[in-house]
Amino acid sequence: MTETNPLVLIIDDEEAMRDSCSQILLKDRYRVETAKDGATGIRLARDLHPAAVIVDLKMPGMSGFEVLESLPGIDPHIAAIVITGYATVDSAVEAMKKGAHDFLPKPFTPEALRVILARSLERRRLVLEAEALRKEKQLLEENFITMVSHQLRSPLVAIQQSFEVILAGLVGATDDRLKGMIHKANERLGALVRLINDWLDLARIEQGRFVGTFQLLDVRKILDRLVDLLTPSARESDISLEWAGSSVPTFEVLADEQGLEQVFANLINNAIRYNKPQGRVRIDLRDEANSVIVEIQDTGIGIAQEHLPFIFDQFFRVGRPGDKIPKGSGLGLSIAKKLVEAHHGRIEVRSELGVGTSFTVRLPKAAVGGAATGGASA
Amino acid sequence: MTTNRAKILVVDDDPDFLDAMRAILTAASYGVVTASNVSEGKQTILSERPDLILLDIMMDSLFDGYSLCHAIRTSKEFECVHDTPVIFVSAVRQIAGSRFGFKGEDQGLTGPEDYIDKPVKPADLLARIERFLKK
Repeated sequence: MTETNPLVLIIDDEEAMRDSCSQILLKDRYRVETAKDGATGIRLARDLHPAAVIVDLKMPGMSGFEVLESLPGIDPHIAAIVITGYATVDSAVEAMKKGAHDFLPKPFTPEALRVILARSLERRRLVLEAEALRKEKQLLEENFITMVSHQLRSPLVAIQQSFEVILAGLVGATDDRLKGMIHKANERLGALVRLINDWLDLARIEQGRFVGTFQLLDVRKILDRLVDLLTPSARESDISLEWAGSSVPTFEVLADEQGLEQVFANLINNAIRYNKPQGRVRIDLRDEANSVIVEIQDTGIGIAQEHLPFIFDQFFRVGRPGDKIPKGSGLGLSIAKKLVEAHHGRIEVRSELGVGTSFTVRLPKAAVGGAATGGASA
Repeated sequence: MTTNRAKILVVDDDPDFLDAMRAILTAASYGVVTASNVSEGKQTILSERPDLILLDIMMDSLFDGYSLCHAIRTSKEFECVHDTPVIFVSAVRQIAGSRFGFKGEDQGLTGPEDYIDKPVKPADLLARIERFLKK
């Protein structure tokens, strides 16, 4: 950030000093304002935001020290230079302590004024530049994932949009074979978009950017809603959903609603997908000391013991027999685990090959009257 | 259908997406004008005075759509379109959904009338446009 023709404010009770400094600086293409006392100087500084202030330490009324003290409140990086008539080391040190960049002992030459002002403004420039860079870097980091995923998704969405236009028959007649092929392509694109979304969720949670809205939530209500939502797809797969917690008492946890929904939705969907025909998924809710426990059990294909330690790893996928193309992103369980951990909870798994799998989520029970909102990070 | 129907401005930085939208809207006999960034969008709004605006959110920067929408609603320059319906058409909600606090309102910006996710279902888009133009 370079300021062209920076504004310099001269605060001095001596008219001769104000005039001579002004003349020197105007010749060097600075813009100059002057004030004959401290109070006027501070008012001008507040109104005009000068890049530099040159202030006489010894003035009647408000002293230069007092002016120095109020400058940081106006602009913390203002280039403050003091003029001292009695060039003692003490007053200079005192002025520097109060935030002055430099000092000019009277009498001084025009050259000394130029050099010291230029040096002080250079220092201000560097500080402002560093600050701007730091802000920019911070903004970049915050938005990086969002921008990357935008770049990844934009072309996919444009392709999907073109397919929608073709399928709507807006660019000519389509026969069923063509439509079938486009549907297939569209589904693969959809899966790719989901993968990117899942990866993005995970990246955010891992970066500690899981900024949920934490509030008191009734776990039973969330599960009630999810069971309603997922029952049709379970039925389609010939799986029965058994919800055993609809009449338990209210268990409250401090949680982010969408985060918690995502955890349970991932687990229930897995239990449906990796089940056997006419299988069952049982969802239990109970409490135990200071924890609320949700257990999701299936009568599915199970997970081999040697695979169990890895199932929460990213992209680890056992695959379902008969699936030519894996349906999931391979990130669902990693996301569930990270989300549970962001809620200071734990997730455990037990499984027996050919018999079924059980996931247990433990969340800390909300303290009674412990309503609070705020963010938590993973 | 004749062509005496409303004029719709689509602002989006993806040329293929603009083509797709043009195909949908012209098939429904709407007049279509397009712009591929915020400054083009501003010029087109003033020169064409559209009856409805479809606006992408993320273009050159994260909040382009929000800032343009805000300008349309509040700035003196765009007084002539203060009441023109604006619909966000974007995939942003899924990318940075409410869970991650992507809310223009929080940035002190004025929101749109409606929001449609990309990819757009042609029938859905047309139904929503109809609804706003009837008002």
